[in-house]
Amino acid sequence: MSAVLSNDGPDPAAASIACGHCGEPVPQGLKLYAKVAGESQPMCCNGCQTIATLIDGAGLGRYYDFRDALPQRPDETIQSQEDFLAWDRNAVLDHHARRIRPGQVELALVLENVHCAACSWLIRRFVGELPGVESLQVDIADGRAMLRLNPERTPLSEVAARLASLGYGPHLDTPEAGQDRDRDQRHEMLKALVVAGLGMMQVMSFALAGYIGAMQDIDATSERFFQLISMVVAVPVALYSGRIFYRSAWRTLKSGRMGMDVPVALAMLLALLSSIVITWLDAGETYFDSVVMFIFFLLLGRYAVLVARQKAGRLHSALARALPTQVRRLSQKGSELVSMVELQVGDRLQISTGETIAADGTILKGHARIDESLLSGESIPSKRQAGDAVMAGSLIRDGQIELRIDQLGQNTTLSGIVRLLDQARQFRPRMAQLADRVAGVFVTVVLSAAAVTGLIWWQIDATHALPVALAVLVVSCPCALALGTPVALASATRGLARLGILIHRPDALEALPRLTHLVLDKTGTLTQSRPELIETRVIGDMDPSRARRLAGRLERVSRHPLGLAFSPFDDGAPVTDGLSVTASGVSGVIEGQAYRLGKAGFIETMIGEPVTEPGQGQWLALANEQGLLAWFLLDLPLRQGAAELVQQLQASGKTLWLASGDRFANVEALATSLGIQNYHAELSPEEKLALMRKLQAEGATVAMIGDGINDAPVLAGADVSMALAEGADIARTQADLVVTGPGLDRLGSALALAPRVRRTIIQNLSWALGYNLLALPFAMAGLIPPWLAAIGMSASSLIVVLNARRLGNESTKAQSPSRMMLASPPAGPS
Amino acid sequence: MSIIYVLIPLSIILMILAIGFFFWAVKNNQFDDLDTPALDVLDDDPPARNRNETSDDQA
Repeated sequence: MSAVLSNDGPDPAAASIACGHCGEPVPQGLKLYAKVAGESQPMCCNGCQTIATLIDGAGLGRYYDFRDALPQRPDETIQSQEDFLAWDRNAVLDHHARRIRPGQVELALVLENVHCAACSWLIRRFVGELPGVESLQVDIADGRAMLRLNPERTPLSEVAARLASLGYGPHLDTPEAGQDRDRDQRHEMLKALVVAGLGMMQVMSFALAGYIGAMQDIDATSERFFQLISMVVAVPVALYSGRIFYRSAWRTLKSGRMGMDVPVALAMLLALLSSIVITWLDAGETYFDSVVMFIFFLLLGRYAVLVARQKAGRLHSALARALPTQVRRLSQKGSELVSMVELQVGDRLQISTGETIAADGTILKGHARIDESLLSGESIPSKRQAGDAVMAGSLIRDGQIELRIDQLGQNTTLSGIVRLLDQARQFRPRMAQLADRVAGVFVTVVLSAAAVTGLIWWQIDATHALPVALAVLVVSCPCALALGTPVALASATRGLARLGILIHRPDALEALPRLTHLVLDKTGTLTQSRPELIETRVIGDMDPSRARRLAGRLERVSRHPLGLAFSPFDDGAPVTDGLSVTASGVSGVIEGQAYRLGKAGFIETMIGEPVTEPGQGQWLALANEQGLLAWFLLDLPLRQGAAELVQQLQASGKTLWLASGDRFANVEALATSLGIQNYHAELSPEEKLALMRKLQAEGATVAMIGDGINDAPVLAGADVSMALAEGADIARTQADLVVTGPGLDRLGSALALAPRVRRTIIQNLSWALGYNLLALPFAMAGLIPPWLAAIGMSASSLIVVLNARRLGNESTKAQSPSRMMLASPPAGPS
Repeated sequence: MSIIYVLIPLSIILMILAIGFFFWAVKNNQFDDLDTPALDVLDDDPPARNRNETSDDQA
């Protein structure tokens, strides 16, 4: 969104002034200032100015010194306490909060835009000073705050308003959120880790005493004592801290597979049991210190991996947070403000200008212009009236409607989209599945190698057989191998989601760098999907506004993007027998009269005489059986970032094809202006698919970039499909990558990231495999003690994770260069 | 040297206490935010009333 604004100023000088609060470029000619750290700084919008003034007024200006990341540009309108009044209702507290003691409740809030420690500091300072706030813990990693509140002293709505006034829009958290599970998992791991760490220090000190004692003639009683006390500490520690591994190994074994935890758990239990037996029989060397140390280092690695994965899993959840904080419900008794939890299917809601629709439903009364940009990226509001369906998460731009709720909560389209995101997150990519299978084989090999090594060493030197076998088991654990691909893809997915690109099939990321050809659709892809009506030419005594109204009604049945140009003129009067003919036009019956709207050829078949278009450009004709009624000239504005994308792709050596269903002149004009040499016009979806098949037959790896619905068959045939999806179509689109934002520049970032993803995966896999193969002979030769093997293995996994993390970090940095690119004078016409 | 028979079990009891204390801290989400407390120290002039309330709650 912000990029749209920054593109407004083609003058490079405009980009050089950064907003003192959010760092976005200040639009040219805007004179807004606020005090930041004692100095007057330019502000890019009212939202930033309000927040900066507020922070300064509260004496919290240190925020600007503390922060290490810039906040997102806040909304122009900041919510006030009235927007949260429904949160003070008992139903909200009953549903979302836990009562700790009389007069005190605890509840979780999901906050927008929290990303650094300074945010958390600012929130605790500014909100924590309210008298009723007993405590407020902000978890930066989750973007959640745990609030303990006395609602009698400070109502929840006041806390919410304070949070909103800083730009951290609060949302009530649903109790079944997966984040609780994440946190429990993290806590369990942390506890196991610290127990193992403390236990390790104890057992090591006893072992050390034993070793030094051996050189200084320790008496037998003391030696026995150290051995026993080691056992007393090590056994519970190993059982408690190691249970994560035993459990996971047992689970995989039970399902008949070889998991990577099997050799690890086996090594631990083997060492533990043999040490207990040795202690029991008082028969020499024990391995208690090795076992505990081994568990500690393994847990250290696993904990880091867990934290990194949970962070990567936190997708951009703006979608889930898009519902209103309160709604106005209509009933026999009148209207009342209620919270979301009190709603039921069938309830009637009143929604006015500036409010968000809470549930999927049907409009009963009234009409409004509705902005579905959250669901579609389409920023131009569409007109809806009684009888139309609307989706949760859409915003009413102007107007007022009465809505009957058809679907709530989990059943809304919005939830469907969120679920889709979740699925993509859980999808096991092909390469990761392969790595899992390889790991399974690998584990079997490792187990046999360990057994053989143990047997051989038994023959050579029985006292070394066990430690060497343990070292082999540990050193060759294929953890890093199994982790390499998924962590890299998870990092990249997270980075791309922040750029507004959803990945439905993570495999596509691996295929992207191999692309040689890209087939681009014109309408809705390179150009915006919403055309504008430029000119109306009537024939005979037709009234222009009546012609537009007729066209508006007819196009209601059309799914073709061109139809959108007429939707503002649709007066809602009934159309019967509406029919949309692909690549031709629409027909329908209005007031007993059959009409057609479409291309010249489509009209000819109706009126039975040839028609010629009145000029250059995209002309659509309106006709009834008596003859031609009017011509409409439509034009599609170029999509933002289209010129840059074409340049970027050509610079990286890809061959571009423009394949459009549009007429030749239009396609040629666009291709020439963008510098695309290969173009085909007037193609049906089947012909587009044939073109792509031909390219593929020539050995090309082809990506198709199109709009999700019209190009669905072509997208399905491509090696990698990318779609610019709109509305509910985001969920229905079968493309591998879906661009949800308004501009094409984001797609450029995805394409730039892809080679790095592939490189990272290759680095990870070769490192993991190389390390395992290299260390194995040394371990078999008895040169690596078990504890060192544990460190090596954990380090190997950690390196893989950290390497993948770079991907997520860099992809977010990639945003700023693209902004700079936009600020330079646009090369193509726009 | 027989003092070790007292001191070492004592150290183990201390360790158990430490683990118990740590579990308590984890349960109370003391490890969920490891970044902000570092900033609190840099702040010279926190609102006094708020500080008291917070510490009352923790105690």
